[in-house]
Amino acid sequence: MAKDGFETLKLVGTRPNRPDGLDKVTGRARYGADFSLPGMLWGAVVRSPHAHARIVKIDATKAEALDGVKAVITRADFPTGLTGEDWNLQENTMAGEKALYDGHAVAAVAATSKLLAEQAARLIEVTYEVLPHVIDVDAAMAEGAPVIRAGAADATVPEGLHPNVVRYMEFGRGDVDAGFAEADLVMERTYKTEATHQGYIEPHACVSKMGADGKGEMWVCTQGHWYIRKMSAAVLGIEASQLRVTPTEIGGGFGGKTTIFMEPLSLALSKKAGGRPVKIVMSRSEVLRATGPTASASMDVKIGMTKDGKITAARAEFRMQGGAFPGAPVDMALYCCFAGYKLANVHHVGYDVLANRPKCAAYRAPGSPNGAFAVESLVDEMCRKLGLDPVEVRLKNGVTTGDRASYGPKFGSIGLTEVLEAVKAHPQLQAPLGENQGRGFAVGYWFNHNGETSVSMAIGEDGTAQVSVGTPDIGGSRASIALMVAETLGIPYEDVGVNVVETGALGVNEPTHGSRATFASGKAAVEATQAAIKEMCRRAAAEWDIDDEAVEWVNGAAQPAGPNAGKFPPMSIKEIAGKMGQTGGPISGHHESVPDGVGASFGAHVVDLEVDPETGRVTILRYLVVQDAGRAIHPSYVEGQYQGGAAQGIGWALNEEYVYDDKGRLSNTVFLDYRVPVASDLPMIDTVIVEVPNPGHPFGVRGVGETGITPPLPAIANAIHDAVGVRMTHLPINPPKLLAALKAR
Amino acid sequence: MRYHSPTDFASASALAAGASGVTRFLSGGTDVLVQMRAGMVLPDDLIDLKKIPGVSDITQTAGGGWRIGVAVPGIVLGAHEGLKADWPGVVEGMNLVGSTQVQGRATLTGNLCNGSPAADSVPGLVAAGAVVEITGPTGVRTVAVEAIPAGPGKTTLAKGELISAIVLPARGDNAGDAYLRFIPRTEMDIAVVGCAVSLRLSGDTITEARVALGAVAPTVLLVSAAADAIIGTTLDDAALDALAAAASAAANPITDKRGTKEFRVEIAGVLAKRAAKIAFARAKGETA
Amino acid sequence: MARITVHLWSGLRRLTDGDLESVEVDASTVGEALVAVAAQHPGLEPVLAAGVSVVIDGEVSTSRRQVIQPGSEVYLMQRLKGG
Ligand SMILES: Cc1cc2nc3c(=O)[nH]c(=O)nc-3n(C[C@H](O)[C@H](O)[C@H](O)COP(=O)(O)OP(=O)(O)OC[C@H]3O[C@@H](n4cnc5c(N)ncnc54)[C@H](O)[C@@H]3O)c2cc1C
Repeated sequence: MAKDGFETLKLVGTRPNRPDGLDKVTGRARYGADFSLPGMLWGAVVRSPHAHARIVKIDATKAEALDGVKAVITRADFPTGLTGEDWNLQENTMAGEKALYDGHAVAAVAATSKLLAEQAARLIEVTYEVLPHVIDVDAAMAEGAPVIRAGAADATVPEGLHPNVVRYMEFGRGDVDAGFAEADLVMERTYKTEATHQGYIEPHACVSKMGADGKGEMWVCTQGHWYIRKMSAAVLGIEASQLRVTPTEIGGGFGGKTTIFMEPLSLALSKKAGGRPVKIVMSRSEVLRATGPTASASMDVKIGMTKDGKITAARAEFRMQGGAFPGAPVDMALYCCFAGYKLANVHHVGYDVLANRPKCAAYRAPGSPNGAFAVESLVDEMCRKLGLDPVEVRLKNGVTTGDRASYGPKFGSIGLTEVLEAVKAHPQLQAPLGENQGRGFAVGYWFNHNGETSVSMAIGEDGTAQVSVGTPDIGGSRASIALMVAETLGIPYEDVGVNVVETGALGVNEPTHGSRATFASGKAAVEATQAAIKEMCRRAAAEWDIDDEAVEWVNGAAQPAGPNAGKFPPMSIKEIAGKMGQTGGPISGHHESVPDGVGASFGAHVVDLEVDPETGRVTILRYLVVQDAGRAIHPSYVEGQYQGGAAQGIGWALNEEYVYDDKGRLSNTVFLDYRVPVASDLPMIDTVIVEVPNPGHPFGVRGVGETGITPPLPAIANAIHDAVGVRMTHLPINPPKLLAALKAR
Repeated sequence: MRYHSPTDFASASALAAGASGVTRFLSGGTDVLVQMRAGMVLPDDLIDLKKIPGVSDITQTAGGGWRIGVAVPGIVLGAHEGLKADWPGVVEGMNLVGSTQVQGRATLTGNLCNGSPAADSVPGLVAAGAVVEITGPTGVRTVAVEAIPAGPGKTTLAKGELISAIVLPARGDNAGDAYLRFIPRTEMDIAVVGCAVSLRLSGDTITEARVALGAVAPTVLLVSAAADAIIGTTLDDAALDALAAAASAAANPITDKRGTKEFRVEIAGVLAKRAAKIAFARAKGETA
Repeated sequence: MARITVHLWSGLRRLTDGDLESVEVDASTVGEALVAVAAQHPGLEPVLAAGVSVVIDGEVSTSRRQVIQPGSEVYLMQRLKGG
């Protein structure tokens, strides 16, 4: 589907093997837990078994008496006086006066073996005064709910709300009441989604060392090592530049590895243990209890529609809890929920609420799946009521380039219409459905992000290129960046090596989040490559003794630009590189910026499923993802992102949820009970890559990593309604819930 | 922790009888080692049974039944044609346990003695009328499988007692069994409800039946009312409804992270019907 | 320096002097605009200090030095990032 000047591309759009593939399939790739150092100690963390409790006393005498225990730390070992998000991070890393959720770290220990560290952790005696707790978002903001932290609300919260409401927002335009009055059908419903976990396969792991001089080093699996550096430095009160952080290979993150958890603990333990390296590897249950799951949401949506499907007004009021700290992505949820619709009258209200749960972290398009579930479910229901085709209604109301987004500003180039047209043309819409089978459709959106980006590249003596990026590769970005650099240089893909380098090697990089790596590091890598090309042209010009401007770069070689420039045979990159020592030294390029030109991405999913009416169990029969990639640099990885987003969304819709017992303890802390879909649960997920190039990127790239998780939640709920006629408004739609709804029918 | 590897059951029994702290037998280890790693159970004495001769064998008994060693893993059961032909329901119950990796180690005996009410192989064994041979300080005794579980994580085995074999009776003619479990996913999950049915036909009429339910009570349930509902019938709709009603009535589950009480009660009936149909078809010689 | 309209999200109205949906300032860059907004409406200061996204003609601004052309559309939004 090459479009708009991309016809001449040789490499971009092909599917070579990924550079990290061989190591990964042969078990040689070094992940977080694979790293070890001489003299290394093991760390273990003591965690609160209570959802909310005052820490009365921590007695480590017995643990410290064990032979081989080298350090014990508590909050007393951390600096005081932090404020804002730095304080939140510190408090979440290690509880202070109170444990705020089941799994909250209260102490940590380092010892000469893993078993010993775990034994020592069990011997640390913590005396708690258990406090009333609250888990559910609606309960947390209701009158009389236990106050998690008085004074945590920021300036945006109006008087009179429960102290657990820590952020409030309201925005919109037009006159929604007048808009509802114009509608033929106005509907309003409340929806709920439960907290889920990113479910990355690799648990968090790090090895750190920090000497008495405050100099530290860390090897860690993370999406963003500069964030690890900045946050760890803030929490420990050290200077960022004294800490060198090297990312390992990473076994999944999906947003969950963009922040710190036990990393500062390993540094603090190392310092206390006289600088011996300390390794901490989380268990699965630590990951589920004490890292950063998603927010849960309670959402009211009201929409007005005319008989012919025009939306006249829309209103959303979302309440989200993101754990015991501010930061539930209620803002993002509101921005995204109506983003696909051209609306004159729209109003949004949001509450960010504290509850006794772990501090939420990002998870693929944070907030957007929740909001999409509410809005796309209601739009679907209204289409059915009015006898309208759901795809046509999206087309009729759908935003196009230049339209004003529901959240305020105008859209740049977007491809929603193209996505919807591709859905209409897909054969799945014609596939016959049997008894208890249904088809669901929904649209989703994510802004995508740029962020601080710094990339270097250097030409080797043999004319190959090495690129250094600061965005860990979680979805094939090394392959995609290599393709773009090779295309720009005019050399084979195999001649470009891309490495994710440590914090000492580049300027600050934001993590691989916001679907930004291929967009931002890719764009910076192309700019850096252009700088190197310019230098190579200069070297050729000097050799030929012509003006720099009279040399152009074509097919991996410098050549005179036109007949007037002089008559010289092209000088290949290999020739130029081979002589670099005699022509001015190393040849490299560098670029750093917060790249502009981010391209937003819309997607639409179609799911066919079957409900077992006797058990409420749902089987996915067919699944289609259609999404605008701008330009697919390496289509296999774009497809992989689409399929992965759909798979995670299917899990969120059907079975995944944080289940708490009446004491506020997480009861499903292993993958046997935290039910992510397994491979045999899913059919092959079909993908269509729509390419509406992003003018803000040299190859037209839009981020593709996040949009794919936004439509599955409502698409599945809509398909279930189509199959058995019940409207499920509370996720997950697990068998007990669906069977109960079927019986109540 | 002390690790022992006795070479006969009497010594294993003596070791266990003499131990003072937390003691575990090690068969496949897919429960024990996981519990140890999670810090849930930290044994003082770990008695590995895999060095005892014969524990990995499946042998036919004089009466035409099957004697299964305590270390026979699921994958070996699944590959045993004779056993599969006689007791497909028992084998499919065991083969549902875990994944390919887990199947390489996990055993029937471990599944039974771990004491989980949701253990997948146990309803099949109970419906089949299997017995266990127990070696203890006072010698060897034989009891029905359903007499072993005593509640979540507990068995009726006395201190120093261990299972030295599981014995399935001869299958006989015109008979079939089946096990079904309900999980929301397709694999790698713990039964929300499990149900095994074993029956014998004379023509199209059921002459003998045993129905066992898992995960709906503190222990596996042998539900004679459910069996009675289908004995003497041709498994017509009325019999199936009566079977479902009896199974649901016998279920006494709790609400937990894996499912609600109401759901489990309902599903016990649904699975009983479905498992009975498969057992019936198998008894008729159909390979379902 | 040009006269620029900075659109607020309506939750911020309460923090302005006079319940305003938007604020008029004289500024030629993003940084100047933010300083001017905070100077006119000190109630907004903590929110701006905590970090907001400034969206100019549909694109999130990447620098406080970014020039705002007269007639450009300027929106303040909660800070955006992602997973
Ligand atoms: C990933 C995973 C998935 C699983 N999925 C399932 C599943 O789907 N369904 C299911 O039912 N189970 C499942 N299990 C649990 C486990 O695999 C089974 O219970 C298995 O059958 C245990 O057998 P084992 O030989 O490994 O037992 P072991 O771990 O060796 O022993 C289990 C218990 O039995 C005792 N024991 C062992 N042998 C004897 C003996 N001869 N006499 C007396 N006591 C004895 C031990 O002391 C211990 O308490 C799963 C486990 C894992 C790790």
